[in-house]
Amino acid sequence: MPQLIPFFFLNQLSFSFIILLALVYIFSKYILPLYTFQRVIRMYITKLSNKN
Amino acid sequence: MATKVAASAAVDFSRVYSSLGLGKETIASLQAFRKRHSEAQRLHAQYSGQPTTVDLARYRSILKNTAIVDEAEKLLKDFKPVTYDVSAHVKAIETFEAKAVEKAKETEAKIDIELKELQATLANIEEARPFEDLTVEDVGAAHPRIVEAVETMMKKGKWTVPGYKEKFGDLNMM
Repeated sequence: MPQLIPFFFLNQLSFSFIILLALVYIFSKYILPLYTFQRVIRMYITKLSNKN
Repeated sequence: MATKVAASAAVDFSRVYSSLGLGKETIASLQAFRKRHSEAQRLHAQYSGQPTTVDLARYRSILKNTAIVDEAEKLLKDFKPVTYDVSAHVKAIETFEAKAVEKAKETEAKIDIELKELQATLANIEEARPFEDLTVEDVGAAHPRIVEAVETMMKKGKWTVPGYKEKFGDLNMM
Protein backbone atom coordinates (compact mmCIF):
# COMPACT_ATOMS: atom_id res chain seq x y z
CA MET A 1 0.00 0.00 0.00
CA PRO A 2 2.12 2.83 -1.24
CA GLN A 3 -0.30 5.50 0.03
CA LEU A 4 0.81 4.65 3.58
CA ILE A 5 4.46 5.38 2.95
CA PRO A 6 4.38 8.98 4.37
CA PHE A 7 3.10 7.61 7.66
CA PHE A 8 6.21 5.47 8.01
CA PHE A 9 8.09 8.74 8.62
CA LEU A 10 5.80 9.90 11.41
CA ASN A 11 8.07 8.26 13.97
CA GLN A 12 11.09 10.19 12.73
CA LEU A 13 9.08 13.39 12.44
CA SER A 14 7.69 13.30 15.96
CA PHE A 15 11.05 12.49 17.45
CA SER A 16 12.76 15.30 15.60
CA PHE A 17 10.12 17.74 16.89
CA ILE A 18 10.52 16.48 20.43
CA ILE A 19 14.30 16.75 20.22
CA LEU A 20 14.04 20.20 18.68
CA LEU A 21 11.79 21.41 21.49
CA ALA A 22 14.06 19.87 24.09
CA LEU A 23 17.09 21.54 22.55
CA VAL A 24 15.36 24.93 22.45
CA TYR A 25 14.36 24.55 26.08
CA ILE A 26 17.78 23.42 27.28
CA PHE A 27 19.60 26.11 25.34
CA SER A 28 17.32 28.94 26.37
CA LYS A 29 17.18 27.86 29.99
CA TYR A 30 20.65 26.60 30.77
CA ILE A 31 23.24 27.32 28.13
CA LEU A 32 22.63 30.64 26.42
CA PRO A 33 21.91 32.64 29.62
CA LEU A 34 25.43 31.75 30.73
CA TYR A 35 26.82 33.82 27.86
CA THR A 36 24.74 36.84 28.82
CA PHE A 37 25.73 36.29 32.43
CA GLN A 38 29.38 36.16 31.47
CA ARG A 39 29.07 39.36 29.47
CA VAL A 40 27.29 41.18 32.29
CA ILE A 41 30.00 40.13 34.71
CA ARG A 42 32.71 41.07 32.25
CA MET A 43 31.19 44.54 32.01
CA TYR A 44 30.86 44.71 35.80
CA ILE A 45 34.45 43.79 36.66
CA THR A 46 35.72 46.05 33.90
CA LYS A 47 33.79 48.92 35.44
CA LEU A 48 35.15 47.97 38.87
CA SER A 49 38.74 47.95 37.65
CA ASN A 50 38.20 51.28 35.86
CA LYS A 51 36.91 52.83 39.07
CA ASN A 52 40.10 52.04 40.99
CA MET B 1 30.21 47.71 93.09
CA ALA B 2 32.92 45.17 93.86
CA THR B 3 32.70 43.68 90.40
CA LYS B 4 32.92 47.14 88.91
CA VAL B 5 36.04 47.89 90.89
CA ALA B 6 37.52 44.56 89.87
CA ALA B 7 36.71 45.27 86.25
CA SER B 8 38.28 48.73 86.48
CA ALA B 9 41.36 47.41 88.24
CA ALA B 10 41.88 44.63 85.76
CA VAL B 11 42.49 47.00 82.86
CA ASP B 12 45.78 46.10 81.24
CA PHE B 13 46.98 49.50 80.11
CA SER B 14 49.89 48.28 78.03
CA ARG B 15 47.42 46.22 76.05
CA VAL B 16 45.09 49.21 75.81
CA TYR B 17 47.90 51.36 74.44
CA SER B 18 49.23 48.86 71.96
CA SER B 19 46.36 46.79 70.67
CA LEU B 20 43.31 49.02 70.50
CA GLY B 21 44.69 51.35 67.86
CA LEU B 22 43.86 54.50 69.80
CA GLY B 23 44.82 57.92 68.51
CA LYS B 24 47.93 59.68 69.75
CA GLU B 25 45.91 62.34 71.54
CA THR B 26 43.77 59.75 73.27
CA ILE B 27 46.82 57.85 74.49
CA ALA B 28 48.48 61.07 75.65
CA SER B 29 45.42 62.18 77.60
CA LEU B 30 45.01 58.69 79.05
CA GLN B 31 48.62 58.70 80.19
CA ALA B 32 48.20 62.19 81.66
CA PHE B 33 45.11 61.01 83.52
CA ARG B 34 46.95 57.98 84.91
CA LYS B 35 49.83 60.23 85.97
CA ARG B 36 47.42 62.55 87.78
CA HIS B 37 45.80 59.58 89.46
CA SER B 38 49.10 58.11 90.68
CA GLU B 39 50.24 61.57 91.83
CA ALA B 40 47.02 62.01 93.80
CA GLN B 41 47.44 58.55 95.31
CA ARG B 42 51.02 59.35 96.31
CA LEU B 43 50.01 62.66 97.92
CA HIS B 44 47.17 61.01 99.75
CA ALA B 45 49.48 58.35 101.14
CA GLN B 46 52.03 60.97 102.13
CA TYR B 47 49.61 63.21 103.96
CA SER B 48 47.60 60.46 105.58
CA GLY B 49 50.83 59.15 107.11
CA GLN B 50 51.54 62.44 108.88
CA PRO B 51 50.48 62.92 112.52
CA THR B 52 47.34 64.93 113.11
CA THR B 53 47.70 65.62 116.81
CA VAL B 54 49.38 68.65 118.39
CA ASP B 55 51.73 68.04 121.30
CA LEU B 56 50.53 70.91 123.55
CA ALA B 57 52.49 69.77 126.60
CA ARG B 58 55.73 70.36 124.72
CA TYR B 59 54.65 73.89 123.79
CA ARG B 60 53.69 74.53 127.38
CA SER B 61 57.11 73.46 128.57
CA ILE B 62 58.96 75.56 125.98
CA LEU B 63 56.92 78.78 125.92
CA LYS B 64 56.86 81.14 128.82
CA ASN B 65 53.50 82.56 127.95
CA THR B 66 51.29 79.61 128.80
CA ALA B 67 48.12 81.64 128.36
CA ILE B 68 48.61 81.64 124.64
CA VAL B 69 49.05 77.86 124.70
CA ASP B 70 45.81 77.55 126.68
CA GLU B 71 44.08 79.74 124.15
CA ALA B 72 45.50 77.68 121.32
CA GLU B 73 44.32 74.50 123.02
CA LYS B 74 40.86 75.95 123.47
CA LEU B 75 40.74 77.01 119.87
CA LEU B 76 41.94 73.60 118.80
CA LYS B 77 39.29 71.88 120.90
CA ASP B 78 36.59 74.16 119.63
CA PHE B 79 37.64 73.73 116.06
CA LYS B 80 35.28 71.65 114.08
CA PRO B 81 35.93 71.01 110.45
CA VAL B 82 33.14 72.13 108.23
CA THR B 83 31.35 69.10 106.98
CA TYR B 84 30.39 68.91 103.42
CA ASP B 85 27.69 66.67 102.14
CA VAL B 86 29.70 64.69 99.63
CA SER B 87 27.14 61.96 99.15
CA ALA B 88 25.69 63.75 96.14
CA HIS B 89 29.13 64.03 94.60
CA VAL B 90 29.90 60.41 95.42
CA LYS B 91 26.62 59.36 93.91
CA ALA B 92 27.33 61.35 90.75
CA ILE B 93 30.79 59.84 90.55
CA GLU B 94 29.37 56.37 91.06
CA THR B 95 26.81 56.80 88.33
CA PHE B 96 29.52 58.22 86.11
CA GLU B 97 31.74 55.26 86.90
CA ALA B 98 28.93 52.82 86.23
CA LYS B 99 28.25 54.53 82.95
CA ALA B 100 31.93 54.56 82.04
CA VAL B 101 32.35 50.88 82.86
CA GLU B 102 29.23 50.03 80.92
CA LYS B 103 30.43 52.05 77.98
CA ALA B 104 33.85 50.43 78.19
CA LYS B 105 32.29 46.98 78.17
CA GLU B 106 30.15 47.98 75.23
CA THR B 107 33.19 49.28 73.40
CA GLU B 108 35.07 46.10 74.21
CA ALA B 109 32.29 43.98 72.77
CA LYS B 110 32.16 46.22 69.73
CA ILE B 111 35.91 45.98 69.26
CA ASP B 112 35.76 42.21 69.64
CA ILE B 113 33.16 42.03 66.89
CA GLU B 114 35.24 44.35 64.74
CA LEU B 115 38.31 42.25 65.36
CA LYS B 116 36.47 39.13 64.31
CA GLU B 117 35.32 40.84 61.14
CA LEU B 118 38.82 42.01 60.42
CA GLN B 119 40.16 38.52 60.93
CA ALA B 120 37.53 37.17 58.57
CA THR B 121 38.57 39.81 56.04
CA LEU B 122 42.21 38.88 56.54
CA ALA B 123 41.44 35.20 55.99
CA ASN B 124 39.48 36.21 52.91
CA ILE B 125 42.43 38.18 51.58
CA GLU B 126 44.86 35.39 52.32
CA GLU B 127 42.70 32.80 50.62
CA ALA B 128 41.87 35.00 47.65
CA ARG B 129 42.83 33.72 44.25
CA PRO B 130 44.46 35.93 41.63
CA PHE B 131 42.23 37.90 39.32
CA GLU B 132 43.04 35.63 36.38
CA ASP B 133 41.57 32.63 38.20
CA LEU B 134 38.30 34.41 38.99
CA THR B 135 35.28 32.58 37.63
CA VAL B 136 31.83 33.79 36.68
CA GLU B 137 30.40 31.68 39.52
CA ASP B 138 32.63 33.45 42.05
CA VAL B 139 31.41 36.88 40.99
CA GLY B 140 27.82 35.63 40.93
CA ALA B 141 28.20 34.22 44.45
CA ALA B 142 29.73 37.47 45.67
CA HIS B 143 26.98 39.59 44.08
CA PRO B 144 23.66 37.73 43.93
CA ARG B 145 22.20 41.00 42.66
CA ILE B 146 23.86 40.36 39.27
CA VAL B 147 22.34 36.87 39.05
CA GLU B 148 18.90 38.34 39.75
CA ALA B 149 19.44 41.05 37.14
CA VAL B 150 20.40 38.47 34.53
CA GLU B 151 17.36 36.36 35.41
CA THR B 152 15.04 39.33 34.88
CA MET B 153 16.84 40.08 31.63
CA MET B 154 16.16 36.53 30.49
CA LYS B 155 12.48 36.82 31.44
CA LYS B 156 12.17 40.01 29.43
CA GLY B 157 13.94 38.43 26.47
CA LYS B 158 16.93 40.71 26.67
CA TRP B 159 19.97 38.73 25.58
CA THR B 160 22.36 41.54 24.85
CA VAL B 161 24.28 43.65 27.28
CA PRO B 162 24.22 47.36 26.46
CA GLY B 163 27.68 48.75 25.83
CA TYR B 164 29.29 45.33 25.54
CA LYS B 165 29.86 45.38 21.79
CA GLU B 166 31.37 48.86 21.88
CA LYS B 167 33.78 47.84 24.57
CA PHE B 168 34.78 44.31 23.60
CA GLY B 169 33.63 43.97 19.99
CA ASP B 170 32.23 40.72 18.59
CA LEU B 171 33.19 37.99 16.18
CA ASN B 172 30.24 38.48 13.78
CA MET B 173 31.26 38.46 10.13
CA MET B 174 28.23 40.42 8.97
